[in-house]
Amino acid sequence: MASLELLLDGFAAALTPVNLMYALIGVTLGTLVGVLPGIGPAMTVALLLPVTFTVPPTAAFIMFAGIYYGGMYGGSTTSILLNTPGESSSMITALEGNKMARRGRAAQALATAAIGSFVAGTIATALLVVAAPAVVAFAISFGPEDYFALAVLAFTAVSSVLSRSVVRGLASLGLGLVIGLIGIDQQTGQARLTLGVPQLLDGVDVVIVAVGLFALGEALYVASRLRHSPPSVVPVGRAWMGRADWRRSWGPWLRGTALGFPFGALPGGGAEIPTFLSYAAERRLARGVAREEYGKGAIEGVAGPEAANNASAAGTLVPLLTLGLPTSATAAIMLAAFQQYGLQPGPQLFDHNPALVWAMIASLFIGNAMLLVLNLPLAPLWARVLRVPRPYLYAGIVLFAALGVYALNGTVVDLFVLYLLGLLGYAMRRFGLPVAPAVIGMILGPMAEIQLRRALAIGAGDVSVLVRSPVAAVLLALSALALLTPLARRLAARRRAASYAGPAED
Amino acid sequence: MTRLRSWWRPELGLALVVLGLGVFVIAGTLDVSAAASRLGPGPRFFPVLVGGAMVVIGLFYVFDVLRGGHGDPEESEDVDAAAPADLRGVLLVSGIFLAFAALLDLLGWIIGASLLFFGLSVALGAEHKARAAVVSVVIGVVTYVLFVKGLGVRLPDGPLAGVM
Repeated sequence: MASLELLLDGFAAALTPVNLMYALIGVTLGTLVGVLPGIGPAMTVALLLPVTFTVPPTAAFIMFAGIYYGGMYGGSTTSILLNTPGESSSMITALEGNKMARRGRAAQALATAAIGSFVAGTIATALLVVAAPAVVAFAISFGPEDYFALAVLAFTAVSSVLSRSVVRGLASLGLGLVIGLIGIDQQTGQARLTLGVPQLLDGVDVVIVAVGLFALGEALYVASRLRHSPPSVVPVGRAWMGRADWRRSWGPWLRGTALGFPFGALPGGGAEIPTFLSYAAERRLARGVAREEYGKGAIEGVAGPEAANNASAAGTLVPLLTLGLPTSATAAIMLAAFQQYGLQPGPQLFDHNPALVWAMIASLFIGNAMLLVLNLPLAPLWARVLRVPRPYLYAGIVLFAALGVYALNGTVVDLFVLYLLGLLGYAMRRFGLPVAPAVIGMILGPMAEIQLRRALAIGAGDVSVLVRSPVAAVLLALSALALLTPLARRLAARRRAASYAGPAED
Repeated sequence: MTRLRSWWRPELGLALVVLGLGVFVIAGTLDVSAAASRLGPGPRFFPVLVGGAMVVIGLFYVFDVLRGGHGDPEESEDVDAAAPADLRGVLLVSGIFLAFAALLDLLGWIIGASLLFFGLSVALGAEHKARAAVVSVVIGVVTYVLFVKGLGVRLPDGPLAGVM
């Protein structure tokens, strides 16, 4: 039980007054920004990334863990209290959650979401403690071809799962890979695609890409289609729930956790699929009152998906910390945060920086507890945040985006790059290209290139080196499957539609 | 005119950008070369791979759009997905942002950021212009004090350099 000892050391490091303060700042900022409409967890983390640069690494990651979990909590508040669908991972929560709120059960919906997130987050973080050393032990023998295959699997899975159209997912991935190519080649020092602009030699900073695609892209998109009716926010008091609600919630919490954690850890799994599966499972299991209420605001439909959502957030950390493999846009930005400190997540991270990793994992437990305390009594405050007039909200988002990007290097060139990326983010939103593959491609692309070239150098030009290890072969086969499955499904659907055409259609 | 351009869709523009970027990546790295003594693939190897893939994806994308395929516009809290895209709003926000970027070093953060916030909030439909102006100045000053004096971030001073 070496990892338990390390975890206790982590708690000792995270429980100092200074680090507790950073955790508190992290969860508060994370919740505050996460509650704001139009800002999902990925954008929350991207916007707040520059804030962490002013503090030492351990404190920064403690703060960052708080921002990550805080952003997840904040998103659920938005989807319950606002009558419009938000980003895809909390859309399922909105289905039952907003109906509950409009029937006067907002306090109970927020309570089951907050307590469920706490339960799921705590169990899933404990699973992370158990799973991480096991994955590290397995991955320590990985060669460059295995890492390349892992990156390919992450690319293909995220491109084909997140979009209904594989071509659009891959186009987004390609855009990210191209952005990642800009700058000096890490192995030979050659400048690539810099167009002679000296500021581009170091590449495009990930903060600019993330803030451009998410924040400025969203602001431009909103400007093109602003909803002109004012948003209706359901008023709410302190979040609480009665005994009957507890009895109806604990089952969905546990089932949601069981669904969320493994999906979060899978490339392309993300939070969308487990929240949807949990919603469907609770609907099937509903009996009595729950069955009558389903579709009109059943607490099970909030408790399950919210637990799944948070458990998947912890699951995402398993491949991120142990393999350096981001499986969601948020995780990709966290990977970039590690790289800003010169740290490369992977088996070596647990070897070389155990104190930092375990302090961060310990702070996940602490942040989770803080979020519970913060969210139950403060629900009315977060509800007020939702009423910020939209013109001010988006003007403010753009202002902070510009501030964060300018502060990186103190040059206006970055602001023009930011604008171009914002325009790209707008086009991607308007035409339904998922943004996550671009972010993952941009951050994971350079690593994939290095590992590919290393593997080919070892193989001395023999391409079969890429499938020589069984792990790499299996991963590449899975990647091909991820790309071909949606195509096969569409072909099957077309054939079925063709054979049913005629009298069957009305 | 509309008849002549009936095959044109806005999404085709994005598909052509994807295709064009693929060509650009392959052509743009033509001048990149490494010493022949290096082991393994050189610095052009991966860009050509990515560029080639982008060309193939771009072609599929163009055909998909021409055949009538389309993505679903992203849903968001403050977006009316059913409304037609209002390009005027996009152009207005773009113009304000680009003007801000061009004038920032000249105006300094406080004046530049205040004007950016005021312009954007009015462009996005703030009703009380006087209130928006007050909020803008407060935000410009508060962010400057908080980030420059508090967190040590460097922002341009502009003509107010002596005042602050």
